Amino acid sequence: MTIANQSQSQKGNRSGGTGSDSSGYQPLTGIADEMVAADGSVRPVWKPLLAALNRMDEAELANRFARADRYLRDAGVYFRAYDKDGNTERSWPLSHIPVLIDDAEWQALSRGLVQRAELLEHITADIYGENELVKQGFLPPGLVAGNPEFLRPLVGVKPAGGHFLHFCSFEIGRGPDGKWWVLADRTQAPSGAGFALENRVATARAFSEIYGETHVERLAGFFRDFRDTLQASRQSPEDRIAVLTPGIANETYFEHAYIARYLGFMLLEGEDLSVVGGKVMVRTVSGLKPVGVLWRRMDAAFADPLELNDRSRIGTPGMVEALRAGSVSVVNAMGAGIVETRAFLAFMPAICRHLLGEKQILPSIATWWCGQKSEREHVARHLDRMIIGRAFSTTPFFDDKDQSQRGTDLRKSHADIVNYLASQGPNLVAQEAVTLSTTPAWVDGRLQPRPISLRVFAARTRDGWTIMPGGFARIGTGRDAAAMAMQAGGSAADVWIVNSKPVARTTLLATEDSFARAMPGSLPSRAADNLYWLGRYIERAEGALRILRAWHSRYAEAADASEPLLKDVSNYLHEVDIDSTQAVPESLVASIGSALYSAGNIRDRFSPDGWMALNDLSTTAKKFRADVKAGDDATQAMTILLRKLAGFAGLVHENMYRFTGWRFLTIGRTLERGLHMTRLLGHLSKPGAPDGALDMLLEIGDSVMTHRRRYNVSTAHLTVTDLLALDPLNPRSVLYQLNEIKREAELLPGSIVHSQMSEFYRATYRLQARLAVMTPEELTPSVYAGLESDLEMLSNLLAQAYLG
Amino acid sequence: MTPLLYDISLKLTYAYEVPVSGGRQLVRVLPLSIPGRQRLIAGTVTATPDATERSDSVDFFGNATTYFLFRNHHEELVMRMQARVQVDAVELDADLSPELPGLAEALIGCWSVDRNSPHHFLSPSPLLPTDADIAKYARETVAPGMTAYEIAWALCTRIYKDFKYDADATEVDTTPSAAFHLKRGVCQDFTHIMITALRALAIPAGYVSGFLRTIPPPGKPRLEGADAMHAWVRVWCGPALGWVELDPTNNIPSGTDHIVVGYGRDYADVAPVIGRVRGYGSHTTDQAVDVLLVA
Repeated sequence: MTIANQSQSQKGNRSGGTGSDSSGYQPLTGIADEMVAADGSVRPVWKPLLAALNRMDEAELANRFARADRYLRDAGVYFRAYDKDGNTERSWPLSHIPVLIDDAEWQALSRGLVQRAELLEHITADIYGENELVKQGFLPPGLVAGNPEFLRPLVGVKPAGGHFLHFCSFEIGRGPDGKWWVLADRTQAPSGAGFALENRVATARAFSEIYGETHVERLAGFFRDFRDTLQASRQSPEDRIAVLTPGIANETYFEHAYIARYLGFMLLEGEDLSVVGGKVMVRTVSGLKPVGVLWRRMDAAFADPLELNDRSRIGTPGMVEALRAGSVSVVNAMGAGIVETRAFLAFMPAICRHLLGEKQILPSIATWWCGQKSEREHVARHLDRMIIGRAFSTTPFFDDKDQSQRGTDLRKSHADIVNYLASQGPNLVAQEAVTLSTTPAWVDGRLQPRPISLRVFAARTRDGWTIMPGGFARIGTGRDAAAMAMQAGGSAADVWIVNSKPVARTTLLATEDSFARAMPGSLPSRAADNLYWLGRYIERAEGALRILRAWHSRYAEAADASEPLLKDVSNYLHEVDIDSTQAVPESLVASIGSALYSAGNIRDRFSPDGWMALNDLSTTAKKFRADVKAGDDATQAMTILLRKLAGFAGLVHENMYRFTGWRFLTIGRTLERGLHMTRLLGHLSKPGAPDGALDMLLEIGDSVMTHRRRYNVSTAHLTVTDLLALDPLNPRSVLYQLNEIKREAELLPGSIVHSQMSEFYRATYRLQARLAVMTPEELTPSVYAGLESDLEMLSNLLAQAYLG
Repeated sequence: MTPLLYDISLKLTYAYEVPVSGGRQLVRVLPLSIPGRQRLIAGTVTATPDATERSDSVDFFGNATTYFLFRNHHEELVMRMQARVQVDAVELDADLSPELPGLAEALIGCWSVDRNSPHHFLSPSPLLPTDADIAKYARETVAPGMTAYEIAWALCTRIYKDFKYDADATEVDTTPSAAFHLKRGVCQDFTHIMITALRALAIPAGYVSGFLRTIPPPGKPRLEGADAMHAWVRVWCGPALGWVELDPTNNIPSGTDHIVVGYGRDYADVAPVIGRVRGYGSHTTDQAVDVLLVA
């Protein structure tokens, strides 16, 4: 045990009897702590963990933390941070010490949150229904009518299934008196549940045996119940369930993909959807398929550019029409975001008594809306204890990007507070400045108290509301609760609800007796489009790399770019938009960038390994572009890039499930390779091509050795043509590509219906047959030109049939 | 005065550079029926090519909406509205509106968020954020002792005088702030500026879209804005006087020459067409309006 006893506890009783806080952990005076109770004793649920921590030396602890971090890295967990340089992906900031809460305390907390979820449901239903709360004076009309989250097109729209809320989260904190308070409600598109799962897996890796011995409530059952409820809520078993994401630029996109994969739902963007006959449909490569449940991770205002925010570029035109038709159940109903409004907290106690006929079990942080005179006066009198923020804010004060100010600071900027509050009243809300509790975090080699807020999740199941036994703890950086947000450098921790008895272990995986081999669902057209273009761009990059490597290796010898062959190939490169005067041409880097972009759009379909390989390729290409010189240096660089590209291609080839998505990727790659080889053959095998053109062609086509073995002669026009255009066994020949395309095309949805070929399959078949019967003598430059335009046409037909 | 009878026709044309493969349009062009003020006797909204789907409905503010879904290729889309509307002359009550403190009191006493509640028209709306310059302009217009109604009129007249009607100066998406500094624009710009100014004074104000009579009565000048859909302002002047409509483009109250199509917080709530098409390339639009007096 080398967790140094750095400072002797001020209160002697801190270590009394427990024998387990020799860590010297010292809570802050006057602030509640999760591990150490008010009387200075370590809370019983923490004792095994603390004892275990005390037994470990620093090296072991470092090892354990590294295990957790490695898991997160390998699983590709990230979040998106926004800063002055735009946004970047950051690795997940896990605070490795979990937060432990006794099950009995948790049960009480859960009862309060269930009541709260029910209350929010009633308020939402009233706002979009009869508006009795306003009419009877429980809710000021301005807080509804002036609220950006009041979505008028949804007024009077009854949600499918009857409920507005299905999945909520609550930001809660423990005050100095040891009691829990709700700091904010999240009903729009609560995030964090997926991250809570990842925190759990990572933390359990670090402390596997302690996790095993401690009776920690499992999380899987919560998700299983919710998934089963959503499945049962569909109007037809044909209906898909999908997670609706704003897309890869969203800060929690990783989680959207993770949840979708974990629960077996589709991951869709607004563009994937189409509303036909009042029904939401997903555009797939097998045509339009119905969607019955949307788990929305997009703010509702962006979901329909026709009836909601008309500037939205991520929505689905007609979505609100579909909601009106009641054909799709949305988690949560659009418009439900209004009950996140900070000013609502001021009115909830009275509304709870009015609507539910009972007192709120779990109080909210004390809140005053400054639109009312008496409240305003109260705020002015007690300004120094207040935090002032925007009435319509939907985030807790430590999350709203400095839009909230301490009363003491406000006093400095506004001399006449009473007048300021009066003029800005309806837009302002005051909240009691609470000091959140602390929890142990491992900082600078020892346990130190850090402020914590807890995000807890509630899901509506067939048996009513259920609370996830655990949650997402957010840990502040310093002692100030204001630095809680991860954007501000805060971190996240797992939450262990500890039962006194052994807990049931559930898993989302089906048990053996219910085994069924499910085929992947219909592939969304947009995903197919991205896979297809990923294939094309990656192959385009490879084609360019091969030509450039051949060029630079010759240039390294000749040192003269005006040498006939080099000049000729430079001209060719120029035609395909590659500038050979640049050692690493911009368009090459752009092709790799486009491949990366396409892959990013369908990241949920890749292993993290594949993604990292592609990222590495892109980073290396950019680096080379900056400092690689023409000639040997460039030859070397191209070889490295080719190897990295082969690494990515290999990972995909070895690991990707051979289903529809694979076919589009393959067709993209082979079609681009076919185009590349056709163009090159047309150029370098034409009559009058410079000396050495055929040898270069063989080198680019990676067929030098094969040619030597097969023909046993020096390179001649006919043998090269035979090998690179017509040899069905050469994986770089044009015919090989057409054979591949034809084979995959036949397996695409709708390729043959009632014995009739689809247009795409027919065109593929025809082109393959035409080339298959040709002889090398027939392949003239004009035939290659025709072949090139036919291949381009195949691409268009594919897009029309599947990718629109 | 006997009621007037109008035949109104509107033709909206969208020509696409590259044929689009489909689209969805939300249209708000049919005149309203307003008891005691105007009555829609007959009206149709149609589209060429034929829509794959169509649905007619009424939005939050009571405006008639038509949805068109097109699932076939087309390179031109024409939407037509034809209506016969009876318009009654409305006598404005004496100015029963309170001064600003009285208006604020009246608002506090109004516990409603139904479609005519003034509370919808006080806060910033999608196209109309608060604007410090327009707010200053508004405050300058107010003299002590003025009623809400007088303030509205003063602003209407001042905007009419200070701003020049210029169809080339602004676009449909010009912000009120930009138009305010240009000191020129069209009905939409003047309406947006006047609404922003009124809200800055905590006077509820909204947007009215509609039509103007094309050929003026004998001896009267032709009104600006008659060759396209028109826009003007509605102002809430307290519970007694209620909503009053003023046209800052022509500096007149809305009368028997004005036919109401829709009410909203700003243009975004009542835009004649909001659409999305599947395709690429640019498009051109054309709008033709005819408002003829039948009797």
